[in-house]
Amino acid sequence: MDLKALGENLGLEKDEFVEIVEIFLETAYADVEKLAAANDAQDAKAASEAAHSLKGSAGNLGFMDIAGLSGKLESAARHNDISSIAEAIPELNAMLNLIKDAV
Amino acid sequence: MGTDDTLSILVVDDNPLNVKLLETTLIKEGYSIHKAFNGPDARKIAEEKKPDLILLDIQMPGESGFDVIKILKGNGSTASIPVIFLTGVSEIDAKLEGFELGAVDYITKPFHPLEVSARARLHLKLSIATNSLIRSQADKLKQISEAQSAMLTTPDKHPAAKFAVNYLSLHEAGGDFYEVLPISDEIFGYFVADFSGHDISTSYLTSSVKGLLKQNCSPIYQPLESIKMINDVLVEILPAGKYLTAAYARLNRKTKQMKIISAGHPPVCYVPVEGEPRILDMDGDVIGIFKNVLFGQQTMQVNSGDRFYMYTDGLIESSDKKIVWSEGAGRMLAACIEARDVPLVEAPVHITQNLHPDTSALEDDIVILAIEV
Repeated sequence: MDLKALGENLGLEKDEFVEIVEIFLETAYADVEKLAAANDAQDAKAASEAAHSLKGSAGNLGFMDIAGLSGKLESAARHNDISSIAEAIPELNAMLNLIKDAV
Repeated sequence: MGTDDTLSILVVDDNPLNVKLLETTLIKEGYSIHKAFNGPDARKIAEEKKPDLILLDIQMPGESGFDVIKILKGNGSTASIPVIFLTGVSEIDAKLEGFELGAVDYITKPFHPLEVSARARLHLKLSIATNSLIRSQADKLKQISEAQSAMLTTPDKHPAAKFAVNYLSLHEAGGDFYEVLPISDEIFGYFVADFSGHDISTSYLTSSVKGLLKQNCSPIYQPLESIKMINDVLVEILPAGKYLTAAYARLNRKTKQMKIISAGHPPVCYVPVEGEPRILDMDGDVIGIFKNVLFGQQTMQVNSGDRFYMYTDGLIESSDKKIVWSEGAGRMLAACIEARDVPLVEAPVHITQNLHPDTSALEDDIVILAIEV
């Protein structure tokens, strides 16, 4: 993962971008946990909010794979469909771990 | 505007990531940033700090962005602050409601920081333009008379600007002058200029130009825009035949970027710590004669310790010795290189003595201003 290039796309130096990515990781892992909790509770509204938050922050930083997947989860949850969350969670965590390793 | 001249922006979003991203981007542009993570805090800070612009998230838990703007617009002390909405909501209704409530613009999430920065700049410009239309003519005159009494800026007034100067004025109403402008903690503007002629109107005009610099050199204007605006005003007010040559340098020590504008002025000398020293030769019209002007412009990345020397033609021209710019600038560069290891504070005098061992024989005013990155 080329953090320098991703940062440059946003007009940021690498160290500035890394600092922001660290904040992103904190909120993103928390969003995934909320997503898991919402899935356990079968709460579609909470699931859609968590997916929305994750989509927004990932999209802002240029992590388009995470933004894309959480966007799909969000729109499904809005239609009361949370069936794909269980299998998406390990996938999201794996994507976040890749970013964490790059930092 | 806040207590000093720095433009300030209040960023409101419940997502700390968005706040951090906007803060990092906007600080680099020279703005000072206030932050709030919810509606009530945003209103409190807006009232206390009177920011020049507010970036406001719509979807927040508790008090929404719509609730916040309603209250701000209903309060006389915050009603005129422009508000830009940040919204993940792409529905047309939400956008229209935002405009209805008094927002000047909206930005859809996910946003690109540089787009936010460009929009912030645009709306600050609009807001400043509107405010200056409202401000009375008397207020403007007051600014000019304040500028008139202002003394020449000395390095101890702005230590962070890291400059040194040697200013020798032969005439009471000297045509040469300089100014150093704090634009933010890390951004400074450096201006060296020479008015044609030495009549009594010159000192009055110098004060006016200093007032114009103060008004027009801010983070929202690119250096070229600042100088063009000053030109447009001077075209209107200068007596016929009177003009100004000038060099304007804006250094951002945070991004290590230097922008130099030349308006028919002797070229700036650049002495980098590493690499070849050189003359930054640029073509450019003089200021105050033409409405449609072309100024020379150069943008460069610089390093700590690099030096720039700005000066007026008295230093390098001599009618006695028939030396003109092209030849003089080469001698100037050689003198700047020779002063490489001289401490910054002594460099301007050192270079003057090198070029003019006998200052009593000077034919013209001299300004030499040295800047170190």
